[in-house]
Amino acid sequence: MVRIIASMSYTALLSVLCLSNAAAKAGKATPLNYNANLRQDTIPGVKKKAIDTASWVNNVARTRGGGDSLNVRLNALSPYLSLQQMLKGNVAGLYVKEVSGEPGTEQMMLVRGLSAPIFRNKDVNNIQPIVYLNGIPLIQNNNYIYDIQKYDFNPIGPATNLLAGIDLNTIQSVEVIKDPVELAKLGPLAANGAIWITTKQAKSGIRQISVNSYFGIAKSDHASPINAEYVNRFRKPFYQKYATPSDVINYPGYLRDSTNLDYYGPSKWGDLYYKTAPIHSVDLSISGGSERANFRFFAGNTKSAGGADNTSLDRYNTSFQINMSPYEWVTVSSMVNATRMDRNRNRGIRDRFAETRYIPDLSNPLPPSREIYQSFLDEYEKVIDENRNSGVQGYFAMNFKVSKFSLLTKLNFDYNEGIRDVFYPTTLMENNNYVSNYFGYNQRFGVTNILTFDQKIGTDHKFDFEIGQSFQSDLNKYNYANAYNGPNDFIKINVVDGDPNKPLYLTPINFMVYRYTDREQRRLFSVYGSVKYKYKDLLSISGLIRDDGSSTSQPGSRWLVTPAASAQWNLKNQFLKGNTFIDQLTAEVSWSRIGKLFNDDRFGSGPQYRVENGWGAEPTIPGYNGLATITRPYASGWVGYDLRWPYTDQLNVGMNIGLLNNRLNASLTFYQKDDKRMLINTPVPTETGYASIFSSGLSVRNTGIDLGLKGSVLRKVDGLNWETGLNLNVNRNKLTELPGGLKELAIGNRKLIVGQAVDKFWVYENTGIYNTDAEVPNNPSNQEKLNFEGTTLKAGDPKWKDQNGDFVLNDEDKVLKGNSMPKLSGGWYNEFNYGNFSFNFNVIFALGQKALNEQAANNFDFINRESGNDIGSIKEINSWQAYGGDLGKYPIYNPWSSVVAYRLDQDLFLENAGYLKLRSVSVGYDLSKLPWLSNSKAGIKRALLYVTANNLFTITSFSGSDPELIDYTGLYSGYRIAIPKTFTLGIKFDL
Amino acid sequence: MISFINKSSWLTKVVAFLLLSNLVSVNLSCKKMLDVESTRLATEEAQWKNLQDTRSGLMGIYNLMRTALGNNNAHWLWGEMREGDFTASSKSDLKAIIRSDLNASYPLIQNITNWRSFYAVINSASLFIERSGEVVAKDPRYSKLNNKVDIAQARALRAFAYFYMVRIWGDVPLITASHDGTFEGKPRTDQAKVLGYAESELIAAAKDLPYRYGVDGDAELPGLYYGYNYARWAGALFTKISAYAIMSHIAAWQSHYLDAAVYTQFVMENYKSSNLEYVTTAQLTASDGIFNGQDARIPVGFTFSNTYGESTSGGHIEQLVLAEPLIAKQIPDLYVSKDTINKAFTETKDGRFGIDTLSGLTRTNYFLNYSGQIPVFSKIKVLRGGTTSGSFVIFSSSIAFTRLEELALLRAEALAVLGQRQPAIDLLNIIKKNRGTKSFNDLEGLDLINEIFAERRRELMGEGWRWYDRIRLAKIKGDDAKFNKLIAEKGIYWPIAKDVLKANGQLVQNSYWK
Repeated sequence: MVRIIASMSYTALLSVLCLSNAAAKAGKATPLNYNANLRQDTIPGVKKKAIDTASWVNNVARTRGGGDSLNVRLNALSPYLSLQQMLKGNVAGLYVKEVSGEPGTEQMMLVRGLSAPIFRNKDVNNIQPIVYLNGIPLIQNNNYIYDIQKYDFNPIGPATNLLAGIDLNTIQSVEVIKDPVELAKLGPLAANGAIWITTKQAKSGIRQISVNSYFGIAKSDHASPINAEYVNRFRKPFYQKYATPSDVINYPGYLRDSTNLDYYGPSKWGDLYYKTAPIHSVDLSISGGSERANFRFFAGNTKSAGGADNTSLDRYNTSFQINMSPYEWVTVSSMVNATRMDRNRNRGIRDRFAETRYIPDLSNPLPPSREIYQSFLDEYEKVIDENRNSGVQGYFAMNFKVSKFSLLTKLNFDYNEGIRDVFYPTTLMENNNYVSNYFGYNQRFGVTNILTFDQKIGTDHKFDFEIGQSFQSDLNKYNYANAYNGPNDFIKINVVDGDPNKPLYLTPINFMVYRYTDREQRRLFSVYGSVKYKYKDLLSISGLIRDDGSSTSQPGSRWLVTPAASAQWNLKNQFLKGNTFIDQLTAEVSWSRIGKLFNDDRFGSGPQYRVENGWGAEPTIPGYNGLATITRPYASGWVGYDLRWPYTDQLNVGMNIGLLNNRLNASLTFYQKDDKRMLINTPVPTETGYASIFSSGLSVRNTGIDLGLKGSVLRKVDGLNWETGLNLNVNRNKLTELPGGLKELAIGNRKLIVGQAVDKFWVYENTGIYNTDAEVPNNPSNQEKLNFEGTTLKAGDPKWKDQNGDFVLNDEDKVLKGNSMPKLSGGWYNEFNYGNFSFNFNVIFALGQKALNEQAANNFDFINRESGNDIGSIKEINSWQAYGGDLGKYPIYNPWSSVVAYRLDQDLFLENAGYLKLRSVSVGYDLSKLPWLSNSKAGIKRALLYVTANNLFTITSFSGSDPELIDYTGLYSGYRIAIPKTFTLGIKFDL
Repeated sequence: MISFINKSSWLTKVVAFLLLSNLVSVNLSCKKMLDVESTRLATEEAQWKNLQDTRSGLMGIYNLMRTALGNNNAHWLWGEMREGDFTASSKSDLKAIIRSDLNASYPLIQNITNWRSFYAVINSASLFIERSGEVVAKDPRYSKLNNKVDIAQARALRAFAYFYMVRIWGDVPLITASHDGTFEGKPRTDQAKVLGYAESELIAAAKDLPYRYGVDGDAELPGLYYGYNYARWAGALFTKISAYAIMSHIAAWQSHYLDAAVYTQFVMENYKSSNLEYVTTAQLTASDGIFNGQDARIPVGFTFSNTYGESTSGGHIEQLVLAEPLIAKQIPDLYVSKDTINKAFTETKDGRFGIDTLSGLTRTNYFLNYSGQIPVFSKIKVLRGGTTSGSFVIFSSSIAFTRLEELALLRAEALAVLGQRQPAIDLLNIIKKNRGTKSFNDLEGLDLINEIFAERRRELMGEGWRWYDRIRLAKIKGDDAKFNKLIAEKGIYWPIAKDVLKANGQLVQNSYWK
């Protein structure tokens, strides 16, 4: 229905365009406001005229008390590389965690809490907000790469954060869109929230040149290094208390010989591991032109570094925009961005073996000796590890204004590719070498048409109509080959037999080669119509209805119609017109339903057959006896016919207030977000052969409050100015429904219970230690001792609470405890200006979340860890540092016990992970107001010289190195590189 | 720029054209545009259409069976470890299995006590039996005979899965149809009934199964099989001999030795038709010997052929037992202690392992590094396609359920139990002769059955038999008090994983493990 209306409207419009040239010429002169067109009508308090994009977005930010948009001006003083870093702690309701200090690694954002439970790290990819760059929805990497991976620490390929490709100095504004109706206008892509980036625009007027540059250093704190003696002493009590003679015989070889100076000598690896690294950035932009044609050009280079393990990222950006208005009623605008990123990744062992999927004998870890580590690094010189991402994105848009009608038609594309070439020499892989090559790309092509027109009835009533339609086609593809055991360390490519007459033509000669490829294509077609009614300057009401069709939903339920509505009431104009104290007071309510896209094309097909060879630890066996296999998806989960679109219902109730000549602005929004009918893999009786089935019906509710405050505490033309801003988010999530009326569901190490939060840990409650066998309680009914899943507890085992009192400790006795997501998060910035001096600092915080300290558990569970010889047994060089936290709080359990005393799923390892960080401190001086500069003919508008320090300190009770390094499942592994401190000196010139 | 503006009518037309084409291409064909065929799966409609579908489906069942046995090296953990000949060096989970502490809280034990992967085999086999017939009508290349042979393989695989499960868990739910698209739990079925079903299925399948695949002019299945010749299929698929071999074991497991004798007799009379033969000690233990890739001499085996890039690090006993000097691993996870070696291998001339009394040197076919603290069990050492290079540690050995020596010893066991001593001794002596050991002489007063089992212990070490052999021996002899108590209390069965119990309320844990 809606589709038909949309089509008819276009046809009608076309006839207008073709026939009435004269009318068109009579159209009003219009400024160049292409980019705003997509959304401008929904922005309150902004007049249609006299805007350019930048100004209206800033306007929104101001009215919202700074809570929804990034303070770009202040953030531009810090050497932030990625969009996530810029936004961290700066916008109410957007939670960002940098799980690694390695520059360019993938980072995640969550808008208003968790909309679905996270079982593995990769699940976070499915609940990311969409990022728009000048209206182009940016495509991200596909999760399918994990299908061929044994471990999900990093995806195969360059694994670079694609959102690190946007240069902060080219950004005019970043707004986090949380308003339900605005999200509804963006459609299913924005179901998890949207981040709207507007770059600096081409501007008419005289040529403007800006040059920004900074130089500085990234520096990590040295950890307190240890050697084998420390480890030896740490383990001694366990051996004294519990070891049998055969356990003593099995004492690890590397700890046995205290004369071995590699392990027992000085621990100086830190000198080579932590190295202060230079960082820099320089960019230039030029814009200019006339009212009818103008342009902007930008080029920049940024180098970021990690401060440890020689990690860095080099980025080159260039961007070109051109706008033309060949007629007064037509505006043509276009943009092309190009980015290239080269990343130097860490030299860690875990990441390496996770990629090679080949774990050699790990019984002797890398020793803490500087010399040995140096020789390791010398060998590492032979490694090739090239990670390159290049991308282009752009659009071509035309905007027609004919009397009351305005038509925007826009073609946009986004293409990015990642290349990774790897070679590991024999010396690093137990006489094996390894080569891999990855090439993958993501491309998105979209067409959008939006028709708007307005109608006034009398002076009091105004209607704005909008009809939009869009089509989008996505394609993800990769080719990946890895090869093992080449002839030597000089041949690093796959040599094949080149003789076409031989039967082995094109088969590899030396290497063992495995090849993989995958491809996924998705399409989305949408139409929508919206009406906005405005009564005087008091009340506005909008309604929207949209219809979306996605190729990833099933043919029977391909389309989903969803509505949205909002109302805004200007209380100031209604009741307080004469009041000089309150300058602004509005109240608004907004509600929408938005369809959520399936993240995998398998759901569109219903029951299916797949190629699932091998098993979890061997995911890449090509077939059986050299032939392809096809079976039902027993391991990955049955997909039935009854899967319908998931959707999200969002409600906002908000209030904005401006006081004292708008010196104090505040916005308070209460929200409720219900993500419904989502899919979850639910277990089925194993006798069916299936591990699980995908069932529809998971619902999660997030409720919370976003608060933004902004105040000009001091405002004096010649005196001290102080501006301060605070953003806060309080969020709670709750599981409201499980498929099939289930009340609870345990999946892996998580348990979901209806009515409880989805981010809770599922753990045993630890209450101490059984010092003697006699202390283990006896079941009075059958005189059997308390047992753990059938194993009787003994002296040296932990006291876990038998919650249900049945004298058997099992999953029934695990409780939900602590949340992995913060209850309160936000940031606070302060800016002081005095004359030409400026000073500012920014504090961010996240409170109320907990983490399971896997690193501590591994340190104590050394018996099982070391003998496992699996990916969890790997000791990186930075594991030679003093064990964090208060070791005395952990009882000395029997580490050989078959109840696995130091198991991770107990509250012994649950720690408070809240933190407060001084994120940035910056001092600046504007030289342009000095007489000798301001009088010069160069016309310098700004020449800001500044010094910035970042990540200076963290206040936390968490025992690991940094509470941010906890991954999204709430586990702290200790493998990730810490976030460095940076110190930079920079200058910003505007001519 | 100025000329651009002047061409006003031209621009308008371009614009109009662009919009129109947009409108037409996008709006009117949007229905079709959303039909994107996934390249990552086959839909319900696309499957069961042609010959490739049935071939892939059939290979899929074999692959699932390989997964069931290979994942976590479960075939050996089930069959070889519990109170067997192997000692764990340091892994706590393996130690727990060896001392039969199966309630211990290790992920490995949870994984191998989950029977889902067998039911995946069963479900896919049932589905194949139900659906593959559709292809006969759709694809003329797919003959009725071909379909009949395929279905026979699926039935045999399904029966094999049931037999294998009963050995581990005792009573298991018997499900004989795919119930495609429904997911109901079933209660456990008495194991006698399950085995009875498996036996009857195998009898039926054996009728249709050929001795060989892809042989021109073969009486049962002439011509290429799915376009490939005998070399491609030998040792990879179930044959008539496979069916009889499994039936023999089903009978023996239930102490139906009369049936076992009948079935093994068939094997002994016909094994040559499937190109089975007795192997020399060298063929048995060479890295490119009988276990490498596919081999016709293994009638029930699941291959990891290096030729097709299917070598893996897991799914092989080598992963558990190999170490230096063969591969760069200091200490093997599992080893046979010197004590045990000396107890099992009593004869100095044994080609598998023996100590030369003169030189003091040992034969290294079964064990390396005997002089060191921890000997390395190196009987099966198929490094990457049968090479000897240990620099890249992946293995190509197949998971061998049985071979001719094993079947001969099983027949000897059956005959000995039935009192037919001489034919039993003859069979036993074939093996003994091939291994260079002294023949069994009835006059020496040795216990024949004990001798047969001792020979099985030596011959089949590391092939996943020790645990089941001990159970059968204890059942025959009834003189091992501890073991017979275990049998009586059903402690010979493994516990059922908690995930399995949780997903189906009708199941109860094996009483011994409650």
